Amino acid sequence: MARTAWPLREPLIAGDKTPAQVTIDISRPLEGRATPLWWAAFLVSLTTLFVGMVAVSYQIKTGIGTWGLNRTIGWSFDITNFVFWVGIGHAGTLISAILFLLRQRWRTSVNRAAEAMTLFAVMCAGIFPIIHMGRPWLAFWVLPYPNGRGPLWVNFRSPLLWDVFAISTYFIISAVFWYVGLIPDLATLRDRTKPGLRQRLFSFFSLGWNGALSVWNRYETVYLILAAALATPLVLSVHSIVSFDFATSVLPGWHTTIFPPYFVGGAIFSGMSMVLTLMIIARKTMRLEDYLTIRHIDTMTKLVLATSWMVAIAYATEFFVALYSGNELERFVFLNRAMGPMAWSYWIMVCCNVLVPQIFWFRRMRRALPVVFVATILINVGMWFERFVIITTSLHRDFLPSSWASYTPTLIELATLAGSFGLFFTCFLLFCRFLPMIAMAEIKGVLNAHLKPAHGLEVAEVEVEAETEPIAARSVVGGLEEVQT
Amino acid sequence: MSENRYWKSVEERDSSLPRAGRSESEAPVALPIDRRGFLKASGFTVAGTLLVGCSRKPVEKAIPYLVQPEEIVPGRATWYASTCGGCAAGCGALVKCRDGRPIKLEGNRDHPFSQGGLCAVGQASLLGLYDSQRFSGPQLAGRQSGWDEVDQAVTGRIAEVTASKGRVRLLTDTVTSPTEQRLIDRFLRQFSDAKHVVYDPLSSSAILDAHQTTHGLRVLPRYRFGRADVIVSFGADFLGTWISPVEFTTDYRSGRNLDGDSPRLSFHAQLESRMSLTGSNADLRVILDPAEEGLALGRLAEKVAELAGTAYPGFAGTSSSVLEEATLDDLAERLWQARGRSLVVSASQSSRQQVLVNYLNQLLGAYGATIDLERPSMQRQGNDIALAELADELARGSVDLLLIQGVNPVYDLPLPGLAKAVEEAPFVVSFAASLDETAARADAICPEPHFLEAWGDCEAVAGVVSIAQPAIRPLRDTRSMMESLSVWLGEPKSALDLIQECWLEEILPRTSALSFRSFWDHTVRDGSALIAAEALEVSPFVISAVEPLGSVGQDEHFTLELYPTIGLLDGRHAHNPWLQELPDPVTKVTWDNYASLSPVAAADLGVGESDVVRLEVPGEQSFELPVYVQPGQHDRVVAVALGYGRLGTDRFHTAGPKWLQSKPTVDAGATVGVNAAPWTTLGKEGRGYRRSGVKVIPTGRTYDLASTQTYHFLSVPEKLAPTDGQDRPIIQEAVLEEYLEDRSAGAPHLHHFESDLWGEHEFDVHHWAMAIDLSACTGCAACVVSCQAENNVPVVGKDEVERRREMHWIRIDRYYRGDPTAPDTVHQPMMCHHCDNAPCETVCPVIATLHSSEGLNMQIYNRCVGTRYCANNCPYKVRRFNWFDYAHDDKLENLMLNPDVTVRDRGVMEKCSLCVQRIQEGKIVAISEGREVADGEIQTACQQSCPAQAIVFGDLVDPESRVSKIFGDPRHYVIFEELNVRPSVGYLRLVRNRPAITAGHVTEEQEDSHHG
Repeated sequence: MARTAWPLREPLIAGDKTPAQVTIDISRPLEGRATPLWWAAFLVSLTTLFVGMVAVSYQIKTGIGTWGLNRTIGWSFDITNFVFWVGIGHAGTLISAILFLLRQRWRTSVNRAAEAMTLFAVMCAGIFPIIHMGRPWLAFWVLPYPNGRGPLWVNFRSPLLWDVFAISTYFIISAVFWYVGLIPDLATLRDRTKPGLRQRLFSFFSLGWNGALSVWNRYETVYLILAAALATPLVLSVHSIVSFDFATSVLPGWHTTIFPPYFVGGAIFSGMSMVLTLMIIARKTMRLEDYLTIRHIDTMTKLVLATSWMVAIAYATEFFVALYSGNELERFVFLNRAMGPMAWSYWIMVCCNVLVPQIFWFRRMRRALPVVFVATILINVGMWFERFVIITTSLHRDFLPSSWASYTPTLIELATLAGSFGLFFTCFLLFCRFLPMIAMAEIKGVLNAHLKPAHGLEVAEVEVEAETEPIAARSVVGGLEEVQT
Repeated sequence: MSENRYWKSVEERDSSLPRAGRSESEAPVALPIDRRGFLKASGFTVAGTLLVGCSRKPVEKAIPYLVQPEEIVPGRATWYASTCGGCAAGCGALVKCRDGRPIKLEGNRDHPFSQGGLCAVGQASLLGLYDSQRFSGPQLAGRQSGWDEVDQAVTGRIAEVTASKGRVRLLTDTVTSPTEQRLIDRFLRQFSDAKHVVYDPLSSSAILDAHQTTHGLRVLPRYRFGRADVIVSFGADFLGTWISPVEFTTDYRSGRNLDGDSPRLSFHAQLESRMSLTGSNADLRVILDPAEEGLALGRLAEKVAELAGTAYPGFAGTSSSVLEEATLDDLAERLWQARGRSLVVSASQSSRQQVLVNYLNQLLGAYGATIDLERPSMQRQGNDIALAELADELARGSVDLLLIQGVNPVYDLPLPGLAKAVEEAPFVVSFAASLDETAARADAICPEPHFLEAWGDCEAVAGVVSIAQPAIRPLRDTRSMMESLSVWLGEPKSALDLIQECWLEEILPRTSALSFRSFWDHTVRDGSALIAAEALEVSPFVISAVEPLGSVGQDEHFTLELYPTIGLLDGRHAHNPWLQELPDPVTKVTWDNYASLSPVAAADLGVGESDVVRLEVPGEQSFELPVYVQPGQHDRVVAVALGYGRLGTDRFHTAGPKWLQSKPTVDAGATVGVNAAPWTTLGKEGRGYRRSGVKVIPTGRTYDLASTQTYHFLSVPEKLAPTDGQDRPIIQEAVLEEYLEDRSAGAPHLHHFESDLWGEHEFDVHHWAMAIDLSACTGCAACVVSCQAENNVPVVGKDEVERRREMHWIRIDRYYRGDPTAPDTVHQPMMCHHCDNAPCETVCPVIATLHSSEGLNMQIYNRCVGTRYCANNCPYKVRRFNWFDYAHDDKLENLMLNPDVTVRDRGVMEKCSLCVQRIQEGKIVAISEGREVADGEIQTACQQSCPAQAIVFGDLVDPESRVSKIFGDPRHYVIFEELNVRPSVGYLRLVRNRPAITAGHVTEEQEDSHHG
């Protein structure tokens, strides 16, 4: 339908929505009863989370020995999972901050969910550095707090310490960013909710939002500052610093200068894929097809394709540098990756990360939801294996052949990995149920409906909405921009 | 609320009504506390409770001595000189005691033949003292009993046997104690038919028999490897397990010394069919078909005789099919050229072969030069012929009183009926200290004390007498055999009295000492004394005894080689967890024995490592063992270790941590490994450790072996090699010829670091460093156990080893190089390198590992949170992580923990500290004496124990120290110099005595091309 109105470009939001309709659509899942599908998903996630919690408790009680690590391979699943989840957490800030600055308006449909995903992913990631410690109850020792132990301080030369700062900063900024973005929507919900605990909570967290122009003004300034000044550098810094864990070591396969951009590229790649996976599920189960349109999916798959090439080039560069450097240890590590006993993991990585995304060259594939769904899952499998390959295959055959060893995960490790997914999906499902998954306030800015004659039918409601969301001006401008660009 | 309540009295009604004035006046004592005060107090209480709750361990109270014992200064060790009782070799040992408990054994540097070295078994024998499964007292008919009852029973039996002129047999292993021998002689003299039968589970009987034939004297000569320039060994593992390995290693090392201006490197050829530790160190190693051993010996004898210009008695054998003529010619030539300085040894149990060896040595003038018959060895006295006779007697049931000491015949003899015979024998007395296969069938058990609990003496080599003195009050109600015998003789005396009596009468006359007291005191203090040996009547060489030997013939089946391992020997130490977990120096496998097959044989059979095969000889018990693929072994040989499958080793069922996916070290009721002793032979030829006609049949099952090293070559797998056959420059080696020309021969290429991102560390006072001579190291693993004892390193059990989590702070990497079927072998001790630019130090987030001002890389257990990043970043992979709370719950074993070394908690990293506790002790002693620490004064545990003196430790700040000089030696190198981690542990290049052509090492041009 919309295509007739906007022949040049597909609309961002399908279904000729009015702002009121948007509010209704997006608030619907929060206001009705949870669907059986939601309950099923929630129970499965919660169970998995529980399994993971049992595994972690057992591991903390018994010892890291319950993992498959050994004297040669000191990290494997633990840090793989950590880097994987940090990577997933990248898409949120990227979409919110960088795409915001680049005025990619399609981001409005996905940014809220992506930011939430970021938070949950960083939470999942944050667990691993703590539980991977031999004595996790002393984890607070990595914080530089004043203490009575003489000059005992943390080691500022250690990349692990940089990690602590990078991840915690990232988490805080992401959380603030997400929350600030939520404020107008919380106010909307406050106004729609019956008096009670829920309303009081919404009321408290919406910080007395009244939709005044001055409020909007300040709000947008803050949002811009957060995005431009804080979040954007973080997108690049977090994974760069995570990559320093490896890059600053002496281990061949880790000790390489390509890691920061390589890791950031990979993180965006995996994060985008995860967003796509979640979006495809959400639009189906929450009936948000009009908001998360094929166009969104199409755009994001292009981004996935682009980042897949980034990682592909990184893979190739690593091999080239190993060859060109003349460093035998380095060369061996890469040959061993591709042809050694753990080559299967390398080839899973290459297939999933380099070959699979190439289907996105085809418009039909980009728009075939089952294909995108399967491909994005495969990409995340591949990206998990990328970290596994980097960490485990570099360690398992390092300098002295006498120490070469192999690695098999234990049930506890598998359960812990599963548990992290359990935590992620539990949080995400709760988020879908209790907070608006799509930024209502922002989406109204990209509606096509405003450029059309208003339907008399919904005038009353539009007026109600207008109190909280003076978006018409914004959206017109926005809409025009969209046309012009 | 209160309106609806019924009240019982006016008071109750009134009190339920709030009335400010009244409650105030009636409050018993108004708390003198305001709101702020209350908050402060409660805050303090909560915080205090939390703090108290924070202590993780219950507080244990230490109770001081009421009366301070003399000589004991808390915190200071007392040392006693003693003699090691780990095997019959009788090396000198020093016992380190803390608070009255022996906590470490060290070699005694003043001992005439062990010279400060102590092997792995010796080091580990300390743990045997604290074995909780030793008998707590004497036993009668399988029940706990008292000495009086046991003595009554035994003397009663003695009286019966004396009256009936019954047959008495005393079965022991080699008795090196003069006092014990004296008591035995006196004890047996009272019977009309008594015999002392001696057998060695690891027999060298054929050597003694051959000397009986050729020299008219049943004697085991003392081999002087240090005097030999050419050593040819036929299967004798003299650096590992043969007769007296510490003595031989020390001596061997003295003949292979590259220090100084005139380096001396003896030539050592090993002809053997399996890969022994000794073979792995040989300059020339020939893989010999066991069937052709006699033939090869004969051919060599013939060639040497030819060179000597004498006729070889008998006709020349057929040409050897395996040994190349050129090799034999070369060996003969070398032996002959070095006559008087050459030595041929053989471990063969065929006395005909040993006669040939004697003939060779006679031709070469070895007797009196490299073979000492004047001071012969007493370390093997067993007579297998006598043993075979006793076996017959036992089978007939004609022994009326059998006493067994020091041996476990039911376990280690190939006599299926022996168990029953011992059980049915009228009266059997065992002196076993803990339950073994034989003691389980004895009527009376008179447990002997551990050698650290009792007085003892030893003359292991004629004229070398040593004392073993008690270092702790006996932990159990035990009595040494000589005491028991003296009781049964009716004149009970203590061991000390008996020994002094014997020494006064027998030893003192052989010395020039004037007073017994001073001789005794000196010997006890020094641990040993060199006295005159009893003169022996050696008759001239009986040349007619020499007969040529041919090939014994081959069939398509395998020959089974049974051999002792360096840890368990004949099985006497099978209850020692340190030795069970000690990786075999060659195979690196722990906790099991296995069937070693050559790569070709394994491929032919279609089996690989961990596949279970069945070894079969028609009509005999078959064994099932997992396969281990051993390069350098003969293709028709299957080698199996003795000493496994001991009764009661299922005690290790609980060894190691228990968790969801853990596997027990050994199944309940099973044994560690399989006892292969039933396949040894005992017949007219004596004991044999070789069987031919053995079928090896794959079973299709698998059984996992726990190995500490699973990749064995220096070169990476060929398909992954960046350039063809890439060797990593971890081991640098040269051949003697090159080395004599250029002392830095073998260096791959030099790295120069012009600038450095890191500032140089400055060491003003000390800079501790270590150098390891790869030419000296034999890989015997003495250092590994010594370190384990010194540093409280836990035993982790088979499953953990299999998961590659062994905790040894020092390990010995064993690499093969060259031809995969007949490789060169090299042993490289590896421990923390204490790098000046340590990669581990920069990455720890909490500074739990850092550099000391003396160049030590320190690990602070308290601070460690266990991220394991340091271990990942360690190029040498020497860091060890406490994956679990490793068992320290054996209260008795805990008595031997070194109080100077922290027992590590779960979740922390640990590693070699270069024995920092010893460094501190040395420094404190020096300070208290107002002097500098002298070079060589501080010795690390590994260095101290090394029989080859391959390890040198010292201070690099002192330019005159040995280690400083070694660091400046052109032979010195560090591993991965290009990483610029600046290790404080370096190596001295391996130099092999062999022609440059056959050396499988990479020449410099090739090396350069590798580096592009």
